[in-house]
Amino acid sequence: MKFEDDSQNLRARLRVIQILAILMITALGVRLYYLQIIRGAYYAERAENQRIRLLPIPAPRGVILDRNNKLLVDSRPIYNVILSREDINGKDFTNLVKPYAKGLNVDAEELNARFLQLKSQPAFESFMVKENVTPADIAWVDAHSLEFPELRVELQPQRRYPEDGKLAHVLGYVGEISQEQLDLPQYKEKGYKPGDIIGKEGLEKVYDDYLRGRDGYRKVIVDSRGHIQDEVERVEPQPGQDLVTTIDSDLQNAAEEQLRNSVTKRGVIVAMDPNNGEILALASYPTYDPNLFSQRIASKEGRAEYAALTADPKTPLINRAIQGRYPPGSTWKIPMSVAGLQQGAISVDHSNLVCGGGITVGNKFTRCMGNHGVPELRYAITKSCDGYFYRLGLKMGVDGIIKMVDEFDLNRRTGVDLPHELVSWTPAYWKPELEKRHEEWKDIRTVYASVGQDTVVVTPLASLRAVSAIAVGGRMYVPHFFKEARAIGAPDTPDYRPARTFDRPDPKIIDIPEDQHHIVVEGMWGVVNNGGTAHAIKSSGKIQMVGFDIAGKTGTAQVVSLGKDTGNNKDHAWFVSFAPAYQPEIAVIALIENVGFGGTHAAPAVRAIYEAYYRKTRHVEPPGSQMAQKQQRQTGATPPASTAALTAHR
Amino acid sequence: MAAILGKLSLRDFDWPLALLALMIVVFGTWQIHNAQPTESYWQKQLLGLGVAIVAMIAVSFTDYRKLVHIAPAFYLFGLVLLGIVLIPGIGMRIHGQQCWIKLPVFGQFQPSEFVKIPTVMMLAYYFGKPRHSALTLKETIIGVLILALPVGLILLEPDTGQALTYVPLLAVILFLSSIRMWIVITAIVLMMVVAPAAYFVGVKTGALSGYKLERINVILDPEHADKRGFGYHTWQSIVTVGKGGLTGTGGSTEYSQSSLKFLPEPHTDFIFAVTAETTGFFGCILLLLAYAFLLSRLITGARRAPDRTGMLVIMAITGGLAFQLFVNVGMALGMLPVVGVPLPLMSAGLSSILATFIAIGFAISVQLRRFVN
Repeated sequence: MKFEDDSQNLRARLRVIQILAILMITALGVRLYYLQIIRGAYYAERAENQRIRLLPIPAPRGVILDRNNKLLVDSRPIYNVILSREDINGKDFTNLVKPYAKGLNVDAEELNARFLQLKSQPAFESFMVKENVTPADIAWVDAHSLEFPELRVELQPQRRYPEDGKLAHVLGYVGEISQEQLDLPQYKEKGYKPGDIIGKEGLEKVYDDYLRGRDGYRKVIVDSRGHIQDEVERVEPQPGQDLVTTIDSDLQNAAEEQLRNSVTKRGVIVAMDPNNGEILALASYPTYDPNLFSQRIASKEGRAEYAALTADPKTPLINRAIQGRYPPGSTWKIPMSVAGLQQGAISVDHSNLVCGGGITVGNKFTRCMGNHGVPELRYAITKSCDGYFYRLGLKMGVDGIIKMVDEFDLNRRTGVDLPHELVSWTPAYWKPELEKRHEEWKDIRTVYASVGQDTVVVTPLASLRAVSAIAVGGRMYVPHFFKEARAIGAPDTPDYRPARTFDRPDPKIIDIPEDQHHIVVEGMWGVVNNGGTAHAIKSSGKIQMVGFDIAGKTGTAQVVSLGKDTGNNKDHAWFVSFAPAYQPEIAVIALIENVGFGGTHAAPAVRAIYEAYYRKTRHVEPPGSQMAQKQQRQTGATPPASTAALTAHR
Repeated sequence: MAAILGKLSLRDFDWPLALLALMIVVFGTWQIHNAQPTESYWQKQLLGLGVAIVAMIAVSFTDYRKLVHIAPAFYLFGLVLLGIVLIPGIGMRIHGQQCWIKLPVFGQFQPSEFVKIPTVMMLAYYFGKPRHSALTLKETIIGVLILALPVGLILLEPDTGQALTYVPLLAVILFLSSIRMWIVITAIVLMMVVAPAAYFVGVKTGALSGYKLERINVILDPEHADKRGFGYHTWQSIVTVGKGGLTGTGGSTEYSQSSLKFLPEPHTDFIFAVTAETTGFFGCILLLLAYAFLLSRLITGARRAPDRTGMLVIMAITGGLAFQLFVNVGMALGMLPVVGVPLPLMSAGLSSILATFIAIGFAISVQLRRFVN
């Protein structure tokens, strides 16, 4: 050092500064080692996470078709405004509600409420701010991308159902997966996530696994504002499998029309192929618009609409075919007849029982609608003689009736491929129930039960299934809508989903000897064709279709005791049938609620279904229809012989 | 000039110091390019480097003693500049700070960067006399006043970061002017006690709240701090540094933290984080070693200074550079709260690079005259 100043130990002080500087730099180096070497992988991952984002590409759901490939349900693309969670983190959403509500024209309170509800969920990825937005909304989001980078417009397929509520109870609907569902293991396993659209009702629910596509995704790089910079990977979504149902649109339309034009506009019509259980039509009225659930449920109006549906005393959301339990009235006499013969209460040769205009049990007289003398079974069915069946029931005893119920599965679900099917109630259910309450089963209950009243309430589908089994001589099939799930994807690739057809269980065999079968069918044939309860209806002409023999049974089920049966408490009108009588191709049941006599109201509705069926399979106007009568007058043509009909179908 | 050059041997020119500084700037320019590849900052930096080299050579061949002799004039001129920048219409207001004067050719000019040099000269002018006894109170007060004038004006801008960089200038000079050791030790102990105490008292009383508290919390616990709020800068810088790993991206800037705009101010305050991301641990350690050599070289120069004034000039410059280095890199590594202090020789900015090179020129000038009397 040039200048000497040892007294101030300057050398040492310079040394201190130098050491201090080196210490500082060492500290920085140590910190660097910690951040880059020890924790490097962790921070690399954090950096990756904040710039890589997976954006799902929703897969279109498979379409639903009728048996002739007519489109029943499809999806159309719509645009939704989505808020991504990653970009909202740390921001106070409550401050965003107002500008969103104003810019996108949505209800602020509702938006806030929905968001708060969602916030409680641990891992939501995105949140629907507005569904099915207009071009103006999209423009607004684009224009405010700097201000609200968390918003993005996403294309999503939206389910579209027939708007008049056609087949609504069968098709069901889709909706956003609920938190309760997400918590269930069976959904967790399949990898569902919040915001997913899944089948919630009907076939949409039952066959969700087929209909559901596999979502694709876009792996993108975003900047700090969430703006997409680049796409690194794209996995295209795979559409779901198309579902071919057993429904025949033309029959379905006919059924819907009949119910729509019925007096009370409440009821159900089901048409089924008795040879395999394929349901050709199922209409339940009143109906509802399933688009409510797939499109409008998130809106205020949509929720009001839903509330109105649930509060409606006419229960439009109920599928009456499987969730309605009705006294079957005289339609019950068909399984009773078969069981009476089977159990030996009557025989083919000696089937006569007294009508007596009614019966006295204890000190109570229960009447028949007429006095039929001592009819044999065929006549008793054709004329619907209550007195006959009172006595048949008493002969079989309640245990005989219970045996019949068990044989025809009337104490079980039919196994139809729809959710929420109810089990019918019959003496098989009520007798043990009464015994539990230490009540005696009185004979009068047996009398009522033999004509489908009092302790007997059945679902229309269970009833149709039992009669269909009788129609084909004792083979009882599981009613179903599933025909085929079409294959999707290229074979031999991991994405390939092969075609699936209905895995039909073997029919339940009910032993009905040929002669017993014949006598019951003959009785039913008489109902329509031989002066029976549905032979000539004054208001709507004949039910009979010459050359296409309908075998049926009317039913007029009491809702309240005699005398009070007016207005809304009128009897339910039933008609259960199949045709052609000795070579059945189709079985149809109709129930119109609270209209009165079955022959007057239900039978003509069923005839309309047969007309549609005939037109379809025979390619000519059905005999006896107004159109056919007109044609006949003009051309003098005769209706085709019934033999031609046998090969036309199937 | 020729006469001076004749007297001074080019062999005595501190080539290692100048080359080290030059290398750091070139390396830094590459990082500025990495930080903002699409912007022209790195080209401007090269332009600034050219001007800075000329300035450094000019200063180094000027006799520092003559310059220190008229230090009060420079000092006054510096204060005038700091005053001018505060006048509305002349000083440019950016991010709420009035720190810049607009110049026709060079663009922006930041007086607070340059005034460090007159301040160092003024301090050396006052404390450079031969010393025979310990520092007196009077001397200390005058030293504080010399510093207080520019610092006060800078705080009016307000630019706390720059003001802070003035403190070590005085600290080093007082330390080397025989301030009593017990005062130094007491000051250090007090700082170590008062800082944590102030934090707890501040949190408890609510005096320390909002962004100030958050900026400290993110240092104490970056994982649980508000990463999207006031902890954002620190958190993103830590992530960027950590992501670099051992070798970094090797210069690739595709989807880097800065190009995706996650890292704020990548070409200025957080240039070290960019360096860490692109060159990794290797690059960073090399850079820190370069700085260590640079500082050691300066201190060696101070030891060889021909007089007390020269020694103080070099050491004040050294102290200032070391302090800025530590504060800036410490901030980038999440060890210190975010303050706007540029990294000398690395951060983009004409004023910074020019001021630093002038300071180094001074140091060289002192050494060039070690054998000349």
